[in-house]
Amino acid sequence: MNDTKIIVDCPVLAFDTLGAEIHSMRLHCPEIAKSARPGQFVNLKVGTEFAPMLRRPFSVCRRDRLEGWFEVMWKVIGQGTRAMSRLRPGDSVSVIGPLGRGYIQPADLKLAVLVGGGIGVAALPLLCEDFQQAGIEVEVFLGARNGDELALSGYFKDTGASVVLATEDGSIGTRGLITAPLLERLAALTKPANTHLFSCGPHGFLKAMVQITEETGVAGQIAIETMMGCGFGICVGCAVRCRNPRPDKKKYKLACLDGPVFDAQEIVLDD
Amino acid sequence: MTNLSVKIGALSLKNPVLVASGTFGYGQESHALTNLSALGGIITKSVTLKPRHGNPPPRIFELPAGMLNSIGLANVGLDAFIRDKLPFLRTVDTTLIVNIAGSSPEEFAAVIERLNDEPGIAAYELNFSCPNVKEGGLGFSQNAGVTGDVTAMARKLSKRPLIVKLTPNVTSISDIARAAADSGADAVSLINTLVGLAVNVESRRPQIFAGTAGYSGPGIKPVALAKVFEVAQKVDIPIIGIGGISNTQDALEFLITGATAIEVGTANFVDPATGESIVAGLVQYCQRHNLHSVQEELVGSLAMWQELE
Repeated sequence: MNDTKIIVDCPVLAFDTLGAEIHSMRLHCPEIAKSARPGQFVNLKVGTEFAPMLRRPFSVCRRDRLEGWFEVMWKVIGQGTRAMSRLRPGDSVSVIGPLGRGYIQPADLKLAVLVGGGIGVAALPLLCEDFQQAGIEVEVFLGARNGDELALSGYFKDTGASVVLATEDGSIGTRGLITAPLLERLAALTKPANTHLFSCGPHGFLKAMVQITEETGVAGQIAIETMMGCGFGICVGCAVRCRNPRPDKKKYKLACLDGPVFDAQEIVLDD
Repeated sequence: MTNLSVKIGALSLKNPVLVASGTFGYGQESHALTNLSALGGIITKSVTLKPRHGNPPPRIFELPAGMLNSIGLANVGLDAFIRDKLPFLRTVDTTLIVNIAGSSPEEFAAVIERLNDEPGIAAYELNFSCPNVKEGGLGFSQNAGVTGDVTAMARKLSKRPLIVKLTPNVTSISDIARAAADSGADAVSLINTLVGLAVNVESRRPQIFAGTAGYSGPGIKPVALAKVFEVAQKVDIPIIGIGGISNTQDALEFLITGATAIEVGTANFVDPATGESIVAGLVQYCQRHNLHSVQEELVGSLAMWQELE
């Protein structure tokens, strides 16, 4: 794999608030806009403070190669994401990226089912774009707690993909988890072998995705969200357990280098 | 022109800025992000005789001004290190120091004997002080007798200068440093991480799988400086200062206190070019203070307060 990662200060071009605690921003960086692949991430730091000290990883959500920007989206969780929410156009952010292994396009893929849980949807737009350009049919399933946390549904509708929405409070789309409409759709597949699930979301959501791939026999990839020390393999802190490791094989993989996208059968999602 | 070079026994460094073991992988990971040859030296991730999987996750937890880690010496093992990692490291125009860890004196001996035959290595740093492995590790450098014995054994076997890395988790770090010095260590490096604990109050579990872990980062700098200060007064061999060094100011504090060189650790996770920036910052500082030699005019130049007569 080519090492295209760079460390660079990127100016904020635009800042958007999408929900109560959900924001996005465009960062000017022609190199990353050009080289990022679907499922890869950037590791960001605002300022030089020691609290928080470490960078925070975010999916490269959208990009414009010609205009030279990429976008990240986040939900405010702690100090790092709160500091990001105070950024405005003209401010600068330190970026290392693009990082990690992205999604892989399986051979003979005819139908790509993109499933986003909450803010995990941010990992999916580049994938949708690539698949549609390659003539692969895309269906999008998005789930969130409520309408306020359901981001990018308009974006996916504009791409022409079919979009199914679910919220736990029923404010938008089906009431309940996105797993119900997803299972219904997968049961109706005519060619499950040419169908593949591509998902990103919180822990419980990914566990459900892994279970669905097992129950339906439809293969899938999951992009995990986890704590990282560095994002490029030097701290070795973001270990994830391999499923059924053989004695001569690795017991752990690194979310930053080996992931954040894994085959649904590759790793154990611990409780 | 300022002469940034320093000598640590028989080991010459073009400048006093090293990167600490376990915070810089095997160099190649940061190759695209910083000019590796700007560094005074690279200290590799600990190499053990056999590959180690490391500890189960969670392995890291961020804290104000630092982080806990419990990696458990995860590394590729000696064979893969020589085959896959050394060739790249040899191409970098800087001093290469291999950090060695083991759970027994025999394991240290086996690794040293094998590496002795490999060209391109300038020195060994002996990790007697990892808090995150069950055997060996911390046990070695918490005991002056064992530190002395293993150092003496390594001294006999090693064709290269030896740096003994010390833990702060002891009653008297200078006693341990003296044992290393008396047994033939060329230098001591300090401090390794402080043993720490953080608790998730919702799950009531430790934030780290193994329970306790090593605390590192800017928060430990004053503790590390005090240890360097103590050891500098009691031991004659050179000291390499480690602990929360994130910028030029931090590096200067260690050099002035008595460290002949410094290692940048946790700061590499945030910016792997920290060492390169510190080298540039040292040049500026020396010019501003009209210093011609870091080693002669800066190292150990701390002037204590004097009571007025």
